[in-house]
Amino acid sequence: MSNPEKWAWWTLGVVVMTIAAYAAFFAFVGYGPAINSVFALLALTALPASSRRHFLGRAFDERELQIANKADRAGFGAFLLGFIALYVAAGFIKGWDANLTVPVWSLGEVVFWAWILILSVQAITTIVLCRGGSHA
Amino acid sequence: MPRGNLEIKNHIRRLRFEHGEMTQDQLAKQAGVTRHTIMALEAGKYFPSLLLAFRIARVFRVTLEQVFEYNSADLNL
Repeated sequence: MSNPEKWAWWTLGVVVMTIAAYAAFFAFVGYGPAINSVFALLALTALPASSRRHFLGRAFDERELQIANKADRAGFGAFLLGFIALYVAAGFIKGWDANLTVPVWSLGEVVFWAWILILSVQAITTIVLCRGGSHA
Repeated sequence: MPRGNLEIKNHIRRLRFEHGEMTQDQLAKQAGVTRHTIMALEAGKYFPSLLLAFRIARVFRVTLEQVFEYNSADLNL
């Protein structure tokens, strides 16, 4: 298994574990505190040597770099689509002239789920590209 | 990127065999890439950059055309 693939599987594992921890905390303490409790778990994506290599951008060969770049684009593309979908949904549901009053923790919630989405899409894209298909 | 019938074939596997049964790992180290990239190249799942193509040709001490072959089924290029 190549280093990018190791990173991708590790990241998926961390994402699943974080979501499970979030669900567990949510049952006891509710939305805001649950996010505050589990957000730091996402830092585990930087733990293995393969992910340090990923984040520091060193020792990549050209194919791995292409895969990493495509995974980044896919991840942030998914985030952009999600953000637009959220914005449009809010507009249609609440009305375009409506005022939104939301608690501060909802900002953390948005950032948390956005980061989960980006990491998941990056990891899945990396696995798909590592396992087959042309990357050139 | 592969498009339709355009294809770049390579003879890396044969050249490795002809060069003392060089391993993928040995070739990867000499070309400055990972073994997985050599595997992907041999499987036709990845087309290398021009720089890597030249490096591989240099490892085998042959020309680029002896390693890579450009095939176009429907274009006269």
